[in-house]
Amino acid sequence: MIGIQHYLVVSAILFVMGVLGIFANRKNVIIILMAIELILLAVNLNLVAFSAYLGDLVGQVFAMFVLTVAAGEAAIGLAILVIYFRGRGTIATDDINRMKG
Amino acid sequence: MTEFFQSTFLGYGFGWFLATLLLILFIALPLMLAVAMIIYADRKIWAAMALRRGPNVVGPLGLLQSFADGLKVFLQETIVPSAANRGLFVIAPIITFTVALIVWAVIPFGAGMVLADINVGLLYILAASSLGVYGVILAGWASNSKYPFYSAIRAAAQMVSYEVSIGFILISVVLWSGTFNMSGIVEGQRGQIFGVINAYGFNPLLFPMAVMFLISALAETARAPFDLTEAESELVAGYQTEYSSMSFALYWLGEYANVILMCGLNAILFWGGYLPPFEWAPLYMVPGIFWFFGKLLFFFFVFSWIKATVPRYRYDQLMRLGWKIFLPISLFWVFLVSGYLMLTRYSA
Amino acid sequence: MIQALAFYLFAALVIGSGLLTITARNPVHSVLWLILAFFNAAGLMLLVGAEFIAMLLVIVYVGAVAVLFLFVVMMLDIDFAELRAGFARYALFGLAIAIVLVSEMIIAAGAWSAGSLELAQRIAPTPNDMPNIQAVGGLLYTRYLYLFEAAGFVLLVAMIGAIVLTHRARSGVRPQNISEQVKRRPQDAVRNINQPSGQGVEL
Repeated sequence: MIGIQHYLVVSAILFVMGVLGIFANRKNVIIILMAIELILLAVNLNLVAFSAYLGDLVGQVFAMFVLTVAAGEAAIGLAILVIYFRGRGTIATDDINRMKG
Repeated sequence: MTEFFQSTFLGYGFGWFLATLLLILFIALPLMLAVAMIIYADRKIWAAMALRRGPNVVGPLGLLQSFADGLKVFLQETIVPSAANRGLFVIAPIITFTVALIVWAVIPFGAGMVLADINVGLLYILAASSLGVYGVILAGWASNSKYPFYSAIRAAAQMVSYEVSIGFILISVVLWSGTFNMSGIVEGQRGQIFGVINAYGFNPLLFPMAVMFLISALAETARAPFDLTEAESELVAGYQTEYSSMSFALYWLGEYANVILMCGLNAILFWGGYLPPFEWAPLYMVPGIFWFFGKLLFFFFVFSWIKATVPRYRYDQLMRLGWKIFLPISLFWVFLVSGYLMLTRYSA
Repeated sequence: MIQALAFYLFAALVIGSGLLTITARNPVHSVLWLILAFFNAAGLMLLVGAEFIAMLLVIVYVGAVAVLFLFVVMMLDIDFAELRAGFARYALFGLAIAIVLVSEMIIAAGAWSAGSLELAQRIAPTPNDMPNIQAVGGLLYTRYLYLFEAAGFVLLVAMIGAIVLTHRARSGVRPQNISEQVKRRPQDAVRNINQPSGQGVEL
């Protein structure tokens, strides 16, 4: 049986990779959304690992809720992205500073 | 078999590993042969319905036609268009082919004859079939060509749309059988109707689902009348336009392996899988695997029959059927089945 | 032994594909690496026996969310090279933060594991006699029923929101109205007349 430490390290690295992705691809909203998905994936991995290790099912139930929110977030985020692109012809984050109209 | 290998010098872990590897080959190689023969059967049935002869030159009765086609394709040169995205172009058919193969791991061919008897077998099938979209969409995109891309978008939208209603149809079956395990679903059908008929399909509550599953399976595998991804005259040859030789053959094999799988799923989910149709002792003399393949081949005949007789749908009609008709009905049916079960089986 | 091998395979692949997700030059490749990461994460979850959530991860993420990403990336005509400008500069800064963050987390995990576990405080101990999916279902539809419904509402809101945001009412299209077509009768469409010869037809 693989110890929980291994899982924690993997999900920590994955989480940080998501954070790094947000920093490195600062201008590209699509990659930022993907980095957020990576972060949520790391969180899920952590929840499931703890759930299995402690023998407590609540972690898996919570991971399911995280999954729900992540799916909703991706759908809404991409929808906003598409209408933004329709209006402006670009998705650079630097241009998203005119919120009114 | 696994126990035999584990009892030899290999030890527990590697005995299991080797046995599983051999079992995978034992499923995959006959499957490839079956695909070759089923393509021949498809062409023969189609030809017979059009009062033609079909393939009859290569080998006796043209039985070796598929192998001749395969040989021809093997000997061709693999062409990668210069504007294509090389890596993805090569990997896309591999994805399609692999996905078509991995699903067979959870299919019960007979009582206990299943490679991986996992608890979430049906979810595994859903997960694996949702991967199938990528082989298609990547082929279209990586080809860097107009018609393959149109076709890939069409195919992806079609597959995703029908997966939704397939999901709900499967849920009503799962509600009835109370398990996601494929063997469990088959065993749950034992004596389903009056204690004699082994099939969910004859259950009046599940029969509409069986019909819808058959139609959704046609759409999911992009068979006629839903073969809009190719639609010969419109989109050249669909997302495979730029493919040649082995990569083309992989699509071919993967597509037909998927068709066989869908026929098998029809048999397993609604028509008793490896169980004989009636609870009658002499019928059990025939091994389960024959019943399973008999049912599978019957459904393949139905697929070919439909291909030969039904005119192609228009794309908006296909989408309307999926989203406006199948989705509401299957959703409502989940309510109906769960309500019925609440009132009868779980009322205590 | 095989479990350990599988763990290291999945872990290496999930980290490698995660890295390639954020560094790939082409966003389509990014999405594909993301899919591989999800896939291997599902494998990691399978290894600890969380089969339901692993399958759900593949169905939801790989089957739906990633297709969405792929569609958007493929359909939008964006100059991605321009968006990549300054990648190295930002990445260097990000890397510094990342190293601090990951070392903090690993230290925290080490400190946590040194403490004692209060297994008595578990809310829903994993039952041994039923499959994982049944146990999760039992918990989800009893104790967390209201949360489950709330999650359903989140998805409903997301669905309606996405449709409202991206829906365009197009003018000049003539959609097929099937019920009208079916309702049409011969007497509405066909007229029998006895046309006298030598006179024009009145339409």
